[in-house]
Amino acid sequence: MIAWAFALPFVLLFGAFTFIPLVSSFGMSFTDFHSSDVQTPFAIDFVGLDQYVKLFQTPQFLRSMWTTAYYVIVGIPLTMGVALGLAVALNSGINRFRTAFRTGFYTPVVTSIVAVAVVWRFILQQEGPLNTVLGLVGIDGPDWLNSTTWAMPAMIIMGVWRNMGTLMVIFLAGLQTIPTELDEAARTDGAGPLKRFTSITLPLMRPTLLFGAVLLSVWYLQFFEEPFVMTQGGPLDATLSVSYFAYKQFGFGNYAFASAASYVLFVAIALLSMVMFRALRSKK
Amino acid sequence: MRNPTLKAASAALLALAALAACGRDATPEAAPAQNAPGQSAAPATLLVWAMGTDGDNLPKLTSKFEAENPGYKVEVTSIPWQDAAAKFRTAQAGGVTPDIAQVGTTLMGGITDAFQEVPAGTDTSVYFQGPLKSAQVGAQTVGVPWVVDTRVLYYRTDLAKKAGFDGPPKTWDELKAMAKGMQEKAGAKWGIRMSTTPDQELQNSLAFPWSNGGQIVSADGAKWTLNDPAVVDGVKFYQSLFTEKIADPAPDSGAGAAESAFVSGDLGILVAGPGESTALDEAGGDGFKDKYALATFPVQKSGTSFAGGSDLVVFKASKNGPAAWKFVEWLSKPEVQVEWYKISGALPAVQSAWQDPALSGDPRLGVFGEQLKDTNSPPPNATWLQVADVLGQQMEQVVKNGKDPAAALGEAQAAADSIGTGS
Amino acid sequence: MTRRSIVYLGLVVAVVATLLPFIWMLLGSFKTQGEILRNPSGFWPQAPTAGNYATWFTELHLGQFFLNSVVVAAVTVVGNLLFCSMVGYALAKFEFRGKRFIFTLVMITLMVPGVVTFVPLFVLVAKLGLTNTYTALILPFLTSPLGVFMMRQFIADIPDALLEAARIDGAGELRIFARIVLPLCGPPLATLGILTFLGSWNNFLWPLVAAQTQDMYTLPVALSLYSTGQIATQYGLLLAGSVLVIAPIVLVFVFLQRYFTQGIATVGVR
Repeated sequence: MIAWAFALPFVLLFGAFTFIPLVSSFGMSFTDFHSSDVQTPFAIDFVGLDQYVKLFQTPQFLRSMWTTAYYVIVGIPLTMGVALGLAVALNSGINRFRTAFRTGFYTPVVTSIVAVAVVWRFILQQEGPLNTVLGLVGIDGPDWLNSTTWAMPAMIIMGVWRNMGTLMVIFLAGLQTIPTELDEAARTDGAGPLKRFTSITLPLMRPTLLFGAVLLSVWYLQFFEEPFVMTQGGPLDATLSVSYFAYKQFGFGNYAFASAASYVLFVAIALLSMVMFRALRSKK
Repeated sequence: MRNPTLKAASAALLALAALAACGRDATPEAAPAQNAPGQSAAPATLLVWAMGTDGDNLPKLTSKFEAENPGYKVEVTSIPWQDAAAKFRTAQAGGVTPDIAQVGTTLMGGITDAFQEVPAGTDTSVYFQGPLKSAQVGAQTVGVPWVVDTRVLYYRTDLAKKAGFDGPPKTWDELKAMAKGMQEKAGAKWGIRMSTTPDQELQNSLAFPWSNGGQIVSADGAKWTLNDPAVVDGVKFYQSLFTEKIADPAPDSGAGAAESAFVSGDLGILVAGPGESTALDEAGGDGFKDKYALATFPVQKSGTSFAGGSDLVVFKASKNGPAAWKFVEWLSKPEVQVEWYKISGALPAVQSAWQDPALSGDPRLGVFGEQLKDTNSPPPNATWLQVADVLGQQMEQVVKNGKDPAAALGEAQAAADSIGTGS
Repeated sequence: MTRRSIVYLGLVVAVVATLLPFIWMLLGSFKTQGEILRNPSGFWPQAPTAGNYATWFTELHLGQFFLNSVVVAAVTVVGNLLFCSMVGYALAKFEFRGKRFIFTLVMITLMVPGVVTFVPLFVLVAKLGLTNTYTALILPFLTSPLGVFMMRQFIADIPDALLEAARIDGAGELRIFARIVLPLCGPPLATLGILTFLGSWNNFLWPLVAAQTQDMYTLPVALSLYSTGQIATQYGLLLAGSVLVIAPIVLVFVFLQRYFTQGIATVGVR
């Protein structure tokens, strides 16, 4: 009774605004629901798995799965590497300006994507600041957002920039739980910095690293915002992710088809998280 | 249905559907689909959705309407261009549409079933006919053009002179010769650029199939004709601009890139809309005005350009149909159209408005006025946005990968056939 | 050069690179349209002007959009703190029918892509007659699965003995929650509050469709109005708008970053 009283506000809100939409979109994915059916919802037909079958026959969807996989497979290790590097540097015994550095690296996380998109479009254009910098070291930079080859790397750079801060903070906390005595002991035994990093820091950081990987995979599989504000999925669908594919189909009014695409993505997210959680648990 | 989850899901869906079915007292079907002319319009508060920054300026105009028509009130909301399609579609699904909306001509497709037919007796001949097509579905007209926008050639007169041209190119051959001459004799890196931003590339390039006598949809709007031979030949010419290195297949699409290339002389000819003069004058600074001129599209079978702009529509779900049409008719008055041109710089869709000295006195505008007599619009079929998506991908391959136009358009046609015209 | 100075040098380079987009945004917001079009990748403004900012404040009703963003974010934050900690407490410290179901559901929704509920949610809100109200902008976001998850994990670690002792002293359940549980939840509440604030402040798609009239727009929606015009995009204005959207949140963050980073870290390490 008491427990339900505490849970009630949440249950009502969650039930109405998350559960009902969720269940109806799931149900929708087994019908031929189209936007024009909203006003006459009894005219729709159950079509079983037809939408899912059609999905896997749509080249654009299959392509979007590759694009999403590309983002996840390249983006996660890169983001984690950068974040770990920053965390280790900040934890290497420096004291002055530490807070300032941490704040600086975290700032991209808190900013609105709509706002930063404007400036990133400038940065990534052919004659933009990024290519000017690359030019200094003799690299002739591409027109990032307009190249089927380079648009995805540009999205990944942006993703790393926007997400490294969160991971850095988590890793930093993880590093601080490592007893300094261990490091000191290894130092007196004559172990170099690299040796100490690989044989003490990394193994002890394992749970934290895995947690970071789970978080990132849930986010990165839903890859949507960067192409939405930067490229609209182009050029030539090079940055069209599964989420964006679903969004576009919603836009065309193909609600059932769009829902089906979303649930395929959901299964991928759930599977990947489950595998990682299992790995996390077994190591604990 | 043995699966309990599925059962629960469908039960909840039906619950939602039932909620939807009994939720509103005024279903769209109950609203009059068509209004007789002169049907008494009761004064009302009208909710208007306008596109982009037009919403900021529109109140300057609506205050006049309110003054002339006591009892009427007009509330304006601006909708961001790039998200307008999502907004219109969700509003339609939720049954919460405004009374009136300004809808970009390229966005008409797919939502026309939400609009009322124009009142019987409306004289649609006063509008430019190309833009009017964007509001015509089969035999029905579901909106009227409000402002128009079309694409013309901006060319550097000084570079053209060096290339041996004293005036604008009149034919496709001359266009190519002039662009090539600008590269070879006047030091331009590229001869022509078809659009300032990639999202306009498809619309602008349709000028070639259209000028070649091709149509991308059958006259009754029931079938896509993307691989029509006249369309294919038009696209072949378009592709030759890239294969002959006259146009850059991957131009810098960054902000201001087209303008700065045109100002510096790296680019000889730029295809763009009416707002471009302002941008070029700002980028070029003093005296640049004299270095370029505007011209209508060169003629093959015709010199047809893409017509954009926006239409005014009244939603079926509106409870203030007659009042809404009264406002739309007021906005279509030539003097109001001229007034709006002065406020916003947008070109009038009503032909007679162009006789006003404010417009006829400007030679650059004259070029647009001339071009507007020969324009075409993509069809407002329910599935046009989807087909545009497919067509755009194929055209990109034609430009960037040198794909054979016949093959590309054949594939686009096959995809378009499976999508259908939605009618 | 010592090892420490190498680390410092690396960090300085990295932090400047990270912040460069913001610096460039700030500088660009003082440029005129003509200057941006002439020299798209220029760095310093040649003739700095505050005109873009003036336009936002005088012509574009920035105040209204700002107020909307603040109201929506504030109510959303308060709701999340209250409701998520309440249900978190129930899930962590009580046994009741449906507990497993609720928790499993929360975990599932953590993984559902955002786009999927968008349309059904809008239809629902529309049918309830809520469009174009603050209620529509706020209600769907008053709770979050992540918040429930965080609060449950944290409250589960509070020793039961503490609660039992209070019960023996005759304290009511509400009192135990308000006087014992909540005060102990400082770090996760701070984190949840800031995360919710960020999410609400930066939310774009939902306020765009839920608002029917312009006076209900939030800052990001207003900003997107000016990002592509039919005539020509006003870049300087857009950059100034970006600065105005980002500045408040960066300020809030700089002042609260201590709690923030602590809270994120607590969540991550446990």
